[in-house]
Amino acid sequence: MSRKSWHLPRRTFLQGVGASLSLPFLECMGANIPKAPRPKRFCAIYFPYGVSLPKKRNDESKWQWFPDKEGRDFQFNESLKCLEPLREQVSILGGLSHPNGRRIGGHDTADIFLTAAELKGGQLKNSVSLDQLLAAKLGDDTRFRSLSLSVDGGVGEATRSSTLSFSRSGQPVPALHHPRLVYNRLFGKEDKSILSRRQELENSDHMLDLVLEHSKSVRRKLGKEDQDKFDEYLQSVRQIEERVERSEKWLDIPKPEVEVRGLHLDADDKTPGELIKTMLDLMFLAIQTDSTRFLTYQMGNMNGATSIATKFPSLLGFGKNQHSLAHGWNKPGGAEALGKWDRFRAEQLAYFLQRLQDTRENEGTLLDHTMVLYGSSNSTTHNNTNYPLVLAGGDKLGLKHGAYHRFGSDIPLSNLFVTMANRLGMPGFKFVDSTGEMTELTA
Amino acid sequence: MLFLLLTITPAFGAIEFETQVKPILEKRCFKCHGDEEQKGDLRLDLLPTNLLKDRVATETWHDVRDALNLSEMPPGKEPPLPPAELNILTSWITQEIDAVIKARTSSDGRVVLRRLNRTEYQNTMRDLLGIEMDYAKNLPPEALSEDGFRNNGGTLQMSDLQLEYYLEAARKGLTKAIVTGSRPEVFAKEFTKTIKDKNRGSHILDKDQQFVVKLMEYPEEGEILIRAKVRAQFAEGRGYPQLRAAIGYRADVQAPRGFLPPVDISSEDWQIVEFRTRIENFPLPSKTQSKFPGLLIWLDNAYAEGREKPLKARGKGKKQKITVGPLNYPQIEVASMEFAGPIFDQWPPYHHQAILFPSKQRPDEEAYAKAVLRNFMSKAFRRPIEDNEISPYSRFFSAARPKMASFEEAIRETLTMVLISPDFLYLVEPSDSKKRALGDWELASRLSYFLWGSMPDTRLFSLAKEGTLSDPGILKKETSRMISDQRSWQFVEQFTDQWLDVGALERVAINPTYYPKFDPALKTSMRGETLHFFGELFHKNLSALNIIDSDFTMLDESLGRHYGLTGPKGSRFERVSLKADDHRGGILTHGSVLLGNSTGEDSHPVKRAVWIRERLLDDPPSPPPPNVPDLDSTDPNFANLSIRDQLAEHRKQVSCNECHRGIDPWGIPLENFGADGLWRNQILRKKNNGRGMTRLPVSPLSILPDGKDIEGIADLKKYLLENRRDQFARAFTSKLFTYALGRRLELVDEGEVDDLTARFIKSDYRIKDLIHLVVASKTFQSK
Repeated sequence: MSRKSWHLPRRTFLQGVGASLSLPFLECMGANIPKAPRPKRFCAIYFPYGVSLPKKRNDESKWQWFPDKEGRDFQFNESLKCLEPLREQVSILGGLSHPNGRRIGGHDTADIFLTAAELKGGQLKNSVSLDQLLAAKLGDDTRFRSLSLSVDGGVGEATRSSTLSFSRSGQPVPALHHPRLVYNRLFGKEDKSILSRRQELENSDHMLDLVLEHSKSVRRKLGKEDQDKFDEYLQSVRQIEERVERSEKWLDIPKPEVEVRGLHLDADDKTPGELIKTMLDLMFLAIQTDSTRFLTYQMGNMNGATSIATKFPSLLGFGKNQHSLAHGWNKPGGAEALGKWDRFRAEQLAYFLQRLQDTRENEGTLLDHTMVLYGSSNSTTHNNTNYPLVLAGGDKLGLKHGAYHRFGSDIPLSNLFVTMANRLGMPGFKFVDSTGEMTELTA
Repeated sequence: MLFLLLTITPAFGAIEFETQVKPILEKRCFKCHGDEEQKGDLRLDLLPTNLLKDRVATETWHDVRDALNLSEMPPGKEPPLPPAELNILTSWITQEIDAVIKARTSSDGRVVLRRLNRTEYQNTMRDLLGIEMDYAKNLPPEALSEDGFRNNGGTLQMSDLQLEYYLEAARKGLTKAIVTGSRPEVFAKEFTKTIKDKNRGSHILDKDQQFVVKLMEYPEEGEILIRAKVRAQFAEGRGYPQLRAAIGYRADVQAPRGFLPPVDISSEDWQIVEFRTRIENFPLPSKTQSKFPGLLIWLDNAYAEGREKPLKARGKGKKQKITVGPLNYPQIEVASMEFAGPIFDQWPPYHHQAILFPSKQRPDEEAYAKAVLRNFMSKAFRRPIEDNEISPYSRFFSAARPKMASFEEAIRETLTMVLISPDFLYLVEPSDSKKRALGDWELASRLSYFLWGSMPDTRLFSLAKEGTLSDPGILKKETSRMISDQRSWQFVEQFTDQWLDVGALERVAINPTYYPKFDPALKTSMRGETLHFFGELFHKNLSALNIIDSDFTMLDESLGRHYGLTGPKGSRFERVSLKADDHRGGILTHGSVLLGNSTGEDSHPVKRAVWIRERLLDDPPSPPPPNVPDLDSTDPNFANLSIRDQLAEHRKQVSCNECHRGIDPWGIPLENFGADGLWRNQILRKKNNGRGMTRLPVSPLSILPDGKDIEGIADLKKYLLENRRDQFARAFTSKLFTYALGRRLELVDEGEVDDLTARFIKSDYRIKDLIHLVVASKTFQSK
């Protein structure tokens, strides 16, 4: 594919703007789409405020989220019992947390669930999340490099971000939250012809180049503070250019056809049951059609004050809002009340995992080729240690399941990320504060 | 004392190291972390206390605070710190760290480059293109700044996703604004009969009846007109019936449709009601789908009482049961309905000619394109355009034109590029290291985004061009003009929504077990009450103290009914006088605040308290510290206590009390209001065994942190007016100033905020006066 002459000045210019704008070699973009023999995928699902952890003596102890007994003979309690049919495809992990998150606010840790970062300075700058890092390295072969979803959508505010994904420069990646919008992006039919879309994309490409060129003069006129802010714009233009080029490559390949029946594409915060299920269905379809291999879904964040997910349990008949349930776990009746909500959430996970498990791929199932991490960054509310975590899938990628593992506080959660990334195609991977692999989880 | 509790500067009421903190450290900590011993490698007596100058020390103090909060220190063998001492230590550290954060993120009191937020983008696109359309539909929701605003330049981010949808919206908008082809055929039809629609079709619109018509031929794009001839039939003691139109089609099971805003039918005489809209904003039947072809238009009666109006009559199969409203129900009689579309003033329409204006240059496409660009860019960038700025755009045009079928198509694409340019998406204000006064063009934009949430109009532009806008007399006159203009509703809506967090309403679901009669549609009316209340204060230039207590509120028919007050008959908000025993007046008694800060089952005194401190006093409590132990109450009776008593129990624990003694007492006086915003003397609670309900008495008795006894809402309002009046005035000034500037306030703003507050107080707290003061302020007029 021949590049137009106006590409070169843009790169030269970009290199002058700052180190944050490293540009992948354009040669790579022009390459044909290689067919990967075996997709390797990563998917993270997050829920806020932790879980119910009643003490043993308590008559509500069956609502203890973590299983009884460590190792392969573990016994699920009520909340996770729905995972029993998938027992050999999951590991339950206890005792883990991000050391950098242990000393920050009790509700501040959702931001670093996938980044392990120390939120620094007054701007609370984050760093790259695992999914984005993986996608940047391994996400060339699909129509979309990654997919970030959440209940609230957008980016939210620092410490209360409404996305799990952060770019390589630590900027939050906005999450999509309308099922229909997700559907349209992934599977929606274009109402224009390929020819006119090609023309549009070509125009867009040219436009973005000229806009960048022109932005140079805008940037020069700005004060220092404003220049920093403005670089966000430049970076976005650069990223969208990559996306436009990717769309051009995929233009002739029709979007996959999927069954719309059963999808509640207009579900919103007033119908949370349908909303969550539909988002999981869309994630399943994205995986099944190999539209992307790196997905995150934040099922609510810890902003009791602004998250639309706060009311979900009340709407679904669990009596209280999310924050009150989480706060009430050690009041009489509270462990059960929160436990039932924990169970509801685990059932959503089980539904999603089962769909992946029921779909064949190569000599295994979709789940065998997808690592799913499910959990929260609080054990009980405000507590930033002992994250409740389920790791599922990836059997054919080298993970080993069927046990409940507990770890000491000297093991950072990043070690899990390393264990996964090594098997997803990034050998020798290190992540923030990681100290090694978790051999318990590898085959 | 003026400005008792300041949040921006810790100068007043701040904790002093030498006299307050050091003695405690000497007594409790230096033994192990001092001269003789340095356990854990920590030496406190030499640790710098000026955190602004020492980053490492800041980190260490941060760790000290954590150790204290977690009760790791003093160690088990030592006696624990008395709560008062613990409080002094941790509060001092927090105070110093906050100061560091503020200093570090300071923009030196300068307005940060900010992009248009969703609302501003939507308004600007609409005003620029002259086309009503949901431009912001796909844009990600906006991030909220720490102080709750959505127009903070530092918080508003850009992303590739955002840009992608800007691009899409620009193309869509321009495709509508610039038309091609000849005058389209107009479809027009009059109907005097409804179709049957499973027995619900009717000329009398009661609770569940509809007047439905089907169009086999209709436009798929453009403005359309629906004109209905109707009259009302009033019902004793009820409000006006409301005529609502919907457009859609019938699919397999459902009928996808979009609704137009209802109109009150306030007369029993025959009258014509017109609805105008753009048809492509509604679900339209697919031309290839043949099972139920045709466009449907519904008219129904949106008057609802008690519960949300059901969209579908209940019942199964062919024999649908029709819910007939009670006899005493306001009705609408429909005589006929007309449909016409697309309608336009001229061809090509005005919005087309505003961009592609008639010109002699027209035959020379290149030259004409340049002229079009200059005109459009000047409006889009909100300033005059230099020749060399046009060149990248005209270059694009020249490159694109040969590949596009028509001039219009090529120019659409070229203008799309204008609409993703930073000069359009951001309020660009060039600057160097020194603060400078804004130019007139920049001032025009600051003003219009402050008061209209959109681009300047022709008059502002022409004053900027003359260079007279910054003249104080003219500026004041223009500000008044803008306030009187109906576009200033944008300011009322945006500022009120963000300052008071009215959106909290949507995050709480009312539990029907506790409030079986509550109609979720009331939330819209509750939001309306608060917005219109502020709007009334603003437009009538009334005292902001009405926010704390007032002898009136703004109600529509359904909220009046909910509150048990005699309100207006229609869906328009009107001023309603209040008596003392109505228990209403002031924003604290608004359903929006009470429901938004409830659990949906009961009040939530902590949320309400935080709301008061944050929104009315600008003194937000600190967020929960890490790893605080939860209230470990195994007392089986706990669930039977009222929230007030549960909180009292909660505060018995030292670790909780430290923060909560400063929070809870503010919320308790509102205990007489349930989650539904209604007055109550009893609290409904589910029985411990889960069966049935029990009732607890309300006790709104509270002792505020300064020791003042408060009983109930009336007391609280009195206290706020008497003891916190100036603090409220300063809080209100700060919030308004924050919104006007689009950035967080900083230390360097202190003086100006003090000054504005003093003058605001002098003007008897009049809101319009404060707006003028803000506009005239130095910071508002400088970059």
